[in-house]
Amino acid sequence: MKQAHCIFQEDDHRWLAIARDATKPGYIIDTNEYVIVDGEEALLCDPGGIEIFPAVFSALSAECDPTKLAGLFASHQDPDIISSLALWLEFKPDLKCYTSWLWQSFLPHFGGEDTTFVPIPDPGMTIKLGSLELQAVPAHYLHSSGNFNLYDPKAKILFSGDIGAALLPPDQGGLYVEDFSRHIRHAEAFHKRWMGSDRAKRDWCERVSRLEIDMLVPQHGSIYQGADVQRFINWFAALEVGVLRG
Amino acid sequence: MNAPERNLKLTNHRSGELAGIVRVNEEIKAIVATAFRINLMALNAIFLAKRAGNAALGFGVLSNELRRFAQDLTRHMASLRDMTSGSVGSVTGVVQQQRNSRILAEAIRLAGEVPGVREARKRGMARLSAQQVKLRALDLRLRAAVEETQQLVELGGVLARSAKIEAAYGGGFSPALMQVSTDFAEVIAQIKRSLEVLGKERLVKD
Repeated sequence: MKQAHCIFQEDDHRWLAIARDATKPGYIIDTNEYVIVDGEEALLCDPGGIEIFPAVFSALSAECDPTKLAGLFASHQDPDIISSLALWLEFKPDLKCYTSWLWQSFLPHFGGEDTTFVPIPDPGMTIKLGSLELQAVPAHYLHSSGNFNLYDPKAKILFSGDIGAALLPPDQGGLYVEDFSRHIRHAEAFHKRWMGSDRAKRDWCERVSRLEIDMLVPQHGSIYQGADVQRFINWFAALEVGVLRG
Repeated sequence: MNAPERNLKLTNHRSGELAGIVRVNEEIKAIVATAFRINLMALNAIFLAKRAGNAALGFGVLSNELRRFAQDLTRHMASLRDMTSGSVGSVTGVVQQQRNSRILAEAIRLAGEVPGVREARKRGMARLSAQQVKLRALDLRLRAAVEETQQLVELGGVLARSAKIEAAYGGGFSPALMQVSTDFAEVIAQIKRSLEVLGKERLVKD
């Protein structure tokens, strides 16, 4: 069963990682969901698919009051990211869903109305949560054509969506990256195949290198922290992407 | 504790209703095709009666009536088809709502009585109940329409039987007219059987 792990706390400002579901059937890709809490408000990043909703809801409820959920952040449009939308809205119909403007008319196929969606323009935007000013950072074409990361400048955490994702074997499923060289082997094929644009990748590497990041938290796999963050950015910058093999 | 995903795979109660709609549509398509056949048969019968002249005047009138019957039947079936198309939307709405409610119930079971869940449950039940009411109303309308069509087909049966009687007075054309009127009776019996199947289908299980 998924559990919420507190990965950052400063007073009533918290980041929770909901990760590792041992009871999940093997044919569904494992996902990480992140909850940012500040005071009386919470934002759920990439809430996940329909099948894992009970596990995510239960893990979230164990750590914070689910009625405080003010919004959902969908890095892009994939089903493992946001197909649970209708269920979150079933619980709280006034939830806002922040996502690229590109997906504004696509995501209602999963649920929601025109008032549900807050379209993020291509250059990004600020998302207010309690006293926080979160930054939606462009990551277009990595891998989706309308794609955003979410940066919390106070916690110095970058939610990177599919960037940094690794498809880990069961015996290497630690919450944090412990051995970068060993870990990154499980990220390589994914990044080569999924990330479609070398130019977009270089832009992203430059953009995030300017941010102060203590933790880079992806939607699949383990969390990069400390020096591993820059290590990952350098590795990604050098990686040939958009290739089937090689 | 059971994995929630396993619990989510419980049989979908509405899948039978969607399959029911598919069966209704298939039956309607079969009746429409038969009605088209009656229309052609009636046209042929009209020409045949014309050739037979005075001896088949009554047969000619009945053939005209059977042609009108085929056209009325086609209209009835079109309206039945519209109803079943509308019911696909309603059944799907109920399926979605039931699935959402079931997953939410599982989430609540795992999470315990956390704030907001009671209200969410109430809202879900209200939506489900509204959609079920809509579906029941559609089911009633469909059944009434099928009954109305059955009455129309009864009239078709009477026309076919009368055509058979008229065929006996067709002189030299009598065997040919008899064959046509027997064909009419057979296809109308076929439509009756299809309508009986339709009448047994329910969009909502009692």
